[in-house]
Amino acid sequence: MAYHFQIVEDCLKCAFREQSLFCDLSQQALVRLQSIKATSVYPKGALLCLEGQSPRGVFVLCTGRAKLSTTSSEGKSIILRVAEPGEVLGLTAAVSGSPYEATVETLEPSQANFIAQSDFVRFLQEFPDVGLKVARQLTHNCKCAYEEIRSLGLSNSVPEKLAKLILRWAEHPLELSSKKPNETALRVTLTQEEIAQFIGTSRETVSRVLASFRRKGYLRVKGATWTILNRRALENLVTT
Amino acid sequence: MNSTQLHSEATNELYEMLSPELRAELARSERSMIVPKGTALIQQGVLPEHLVIVNSGKVAVTLNCARRSASLDYSGAGKVFGMRAMVSGELPEINVTSLAPCSITTVPRDAFLVLLKSNPEIYFAVAKVLSTDLKIADRILRDNSRRFPGGNRSRPSKTV
Repeated sequence: MAYHFQIVEDCLKCAFREQSLFCDLSQQALVRLQSIKATSVYPKGALLCLEGQSPRGVFVLCTGRAKLSTTSSEGKSIILRVAEPGEVLGLTAAVSGSPYEATVETLEPSQANFIAQSDFVRFLQEFPDVGLKVARQLTHNCKCAYEEIRSLGLSNSVPEKLAKLILRWAEHPLELSSKKPNETALRVTLTQEEIAQFIGTSRETVSRVLASFRRKGYLRVKGATWTILNRRALENLVTT
Repeated sequence: MNSTQLHSEATNELYEMLSPELRAELARSERSMIVPKGTALIQQGVLPEHLVIVNSGKVAVTLNCARRSASLDYSGAGKVFGMRAMVSGELPEINVTSLAPCSITTVPRDAFLVLLKSNPEIYFAVAKVLSTDLKIADRILRDNSRRFPGGNRSRPSKTV
């Protein structure tokens, strides 16, 4: 296993299906999904979709994570959000037929199932549970976007924005045997530059604020593993 | 003007994707009316009892954020509201308010959900409507420093 995860070729036998936003489908729909999808494994940094490109289809992210980014009118890169396993990428473009709204880049070695646009639209129209899952994912994505708008519009300080982001990541903690009961471990594969793009600040400011969090004992950072040591302190920073 | 007549002449982002038969089915449950300026068509945190279709007039879409309100979009004829809440059961995060007297058509939630269950092809149309909302939200994120009038922003976002 060069990528250190099990490649799942058969959706019908996938052990993670039920936890996924999209893949927990009826048997009939899964059989159809199996026939229309093409499984691929991608290294970190692979571009699945390019902003502005005509939609070819969607990618169901099975394993790994991917960042969705867009370019502002001033040419700056902004990270809209990070996609987790089970999400369908390129959904908006495939449904509306308009160009991809964001560039999707893998943050780590990932497995994704590609479904061509025409096959996906037919799939959506024929299976009601697929339609419901798609609608729910779009709703979820919209909710995340509104939360970001609320956060970016109101958070007055970078410490607050960064604390909010860390607390959101803490909703998907890492299970580590070495961590203490009141600690929360996270896997953070974004660089400081990417975190800065996410919260609308500079890399230097992110670095400074992170150093401050570490100095005050809120956080321990060891490579890609961040451990929240004082969750209450981070929560107190969030006032909006 | 009765609702069927009103609707046969007007189209919207949901109906333009539906067959004439489905439109006729929906027309049976529709109710059309004129609402004055300042009417709350959708309220944050309140589950809508109807799908709201704007036939004419202009509405404001805003997002409540603690002490302020962020303006997301101005919409008009053809826009459909309440879809997300209906399909997901989640409470709306936005407010939609008429900026002028508007002609609207409402479809009761129960009637819409019954039709959705028996005609799953409607989901594609639903997905298109939701995609449009998401594109607007993502566009706002891209341009975020220019989209929050009033309030007190300490300094412009460095991403825009």
